[in-house]
Amino acid sequence: MRARVGASFAAPGVLVLLLVVAFPLLYALALSFSSYTFLKPTLAPWVGLAHYLEAFRDPYFLNSLRLTALYAFLTVGLSLLIGLAIAVLLFQPAPGKEFFYAVISVPMLIAPVGVALIWKMILHPELGIVTYLLGRLGFSAPDFFGDPRYALFTLALVDTWQQVSFVALVLLAGLRSLPKEPLEAALVDGASFPQRFLHVTLPLLRPVIGVVLILQTIAELRTYDLVYVLTRGGPGAATDLLAYFIYRKAFLGLDLGGASALAYLLLLLTLALVVFYYRRVFAEI
Amino acid sequence: MKGTRWFLAAVLALGLGLAQAQVVLRALMEDVPETHIIEKLLPDFEKKTGIKVEFEVVQYGAMHDKLVSQLLAPESAYDFLEVDFLWAGEFPAAGWLEPLMPYVKKSGFDLSPYLPSMLDLVGYYNGKLYMIPMYNYAMGLIYRTDLLADPTLKAKYRERFGKELAVPTTLEDYVQTSVFMKQNAGVAGAAMQGQRGDPNFMEFSNYVFGAGGDFADKNWHVTLDGPAGEKALRLYVKNIREAAQKGALNANLDDTYREMCQGRAWSMITYWWMLPQLDDAQKCPKVAGKVKLAVMPGGHGVNGGWGWAIPRNSAHKEEAWKFIQWVESKEIVKKRALMGHAPTRRDALTDPDVLAKYPYYAQVLKILEGAKKVPIFAYTAEMEDVVGREVSLAATGQKDVKTAIRDAAKGLYGLFKKAGLVK
Repeated sequence: MRARVGASFAAPGVLVLLLVVAFPLLYALALSFSSYTFLKPTLAPWVGLAHYLEAFRDPYFLNSLRLTALYAFLTVGLSLLIGLAIAVLLFQPAPGKEFFYAVISVPMLIAPVGVALIWKMILHPELGIVTYLLGRLGFSAPDFFGDPRYALFTLALVDTWQQVSFVALVLLAGLRSLPKEPLEAALVDGASFPQRFLHVTLPLLRPVIGVVLILQTIAELRTYDLVYVLTRGGPGAATDLLAYFIYRKAFLGLDLGGASALAYLLLLLTLALVVFYYRRVFAEI
Repeated sequence: MKGTRWFLAAVLALGLGLAQAQVVLRALMEDVPETHIIEKLLPDFEKKTGIKVEFEVVQYGAMHDKLVSQLLAPESAYDFLEVDFLWAGEFPAAGWLEPLMPYVKKSGFDLSPYLPSMLDLVGYYNGKLYMIPMYNYAMGLIYRTDLLADPTLKAKYRERFGKELAVPTTLEDYVQTSVFMKQNAGVAGAAMQGQRGDPNFMEFSNYVFGAGGDFADKNWHVTLDGPAGEKALRLYVKNIREAAQKGALNANLDDTYREMCQGRAWSMITYWWMLPQLDDAQKCPKVAGKVKLAVMPGGHGVNGGWGWAIPRNSAHKEEAWKFIQWVESKEIVKKRALMGHAPTRRDALTDPDVLAKYPYYAQVLKILEGAKKVPIFAYTAEMEDVVGREVSLAATGQKDVKTAIRDAAKGLYGLFKKAGLVK
């Protein structure tokens, strides 16, 4: 009887979850095996794994996959390192920290499209302030987004600039919740600051770092807006990240079946990384 | 009391009746001056027909996705459409548009004033009329007259090339002059929009037509990788690498406008409507009065335009046609033209009042007469991406010209095949 009452209370929530999560996922899976396009919006004829196999034969898709992996590695790694440094600094006793909290939070509050437009003008090859300042110092500014050697790295730095706020604030919250006793014991034992940080703080912070890694990796693998506003995948195919590649397949190629297959590959890649993080970060806790 | 009740009932019924009788046409429009010009004239249409028109105004980038979702729905929220030429193959191919010839015949609408190049671009698809040309944005050459007239530059040019510095008429001459300006005039020879996708595809297409080439023949056999296409890409790459502004490989239309407006470039291959923007002393004091428009060197540039269409799933097709008839009538087109609209009708482009206000329309007419269209089919938008990618790879030096043009042609063939145009 009690189980039935419990189930009836849970039913509406489960139903909503099924509708908004399970149904789109299953529908996209069905689309990925179909020949559905905007021009011929029917599931039949079914094409099996054809879209998946085609993706792995497409050199530009493989290029996108490689770029996306590099991009996620760069942005997650950089934002974690810089975010951790900022969190540790903000954790130290100092006056006027509220001001720094406010400043640090600003990038997080701006929409990614806004961030892209701001940096587009800052790094503009002729009119940008960075170009101007480098010029005053006697240097010639690189063509940040127009040179295929720099475009992906510049994009990653712009993204990092925005993501660092979130990472720093989450890690700061983690630092504040750490138990004080192990740190005090290390201090009594005469451990230096680097020793305390590396051998006490960092291991204790591991679960929080794990959560940040998972959230950031998921976010970075889906990067679309910055590419759309700043480079459109170019120059050449230098910034053609996976999410933008999938968007083009769906809305320029009108191929919803093919795009769904690519979206599923992205989902599988993300899931694989999340599982990997779980095993590496949380398994030993 | 009873009388009052009857009176109230009558007023209510009349109100409901009126509410039902008043048709409201809705359309998705791009946020450009053209839309606001038409908005200003709408009271005239409402007065004449009793039909109300409401525009949902958005940026270009948001239009395609919004339109597609409505066109796929059982009933469209939009009763008439403005369709960019890039979608003029996709929409009819998907069966989303109402054929307009029956409406034309029934109402006696006159198609003869329209320029054939415009009807070809945003009128007919596979021999059937789906759109009425609304607006043109063909491309040509905008150049600085002061630099061409500069005595020092003239002398240097004559000394180096043995001929006069003048408005180029061939693609080779254009690139040669552009490189010369970069080396000698202290400005970029060309403000170029090399960003992958629509910007570089549109720009490069002018080079293809200017070199005497084309993307495909009448039977959809790809010709892009012929000698003219290769020459076009070679000259495009030379110009972007040796004469364009810094950052050209990621520049779009806005960037090239800023470049030209600030007097930092000698020329740009662009939409003709850019001329009045650059020639405006308030917006661009450095170049106003020193810019002119010419036909794309080689004689042919890219044609561009918008057309009016009626979605198959519109609830008010007859009323939508009434609107199109009104907005494209000789009287309203002239009014629109005098307010700054880009006409698609010859009578408006040659009208003495219009020409008195906009003398460069004589040049626009020449541009339109020679303009050619890029392939219009179901995957035109994807074609821009595929060809644009290869052009960009060649421009960055990541692919040589021969390989890039061959790969672009291969990609184009794949799209024609996907669209069922070739076997």
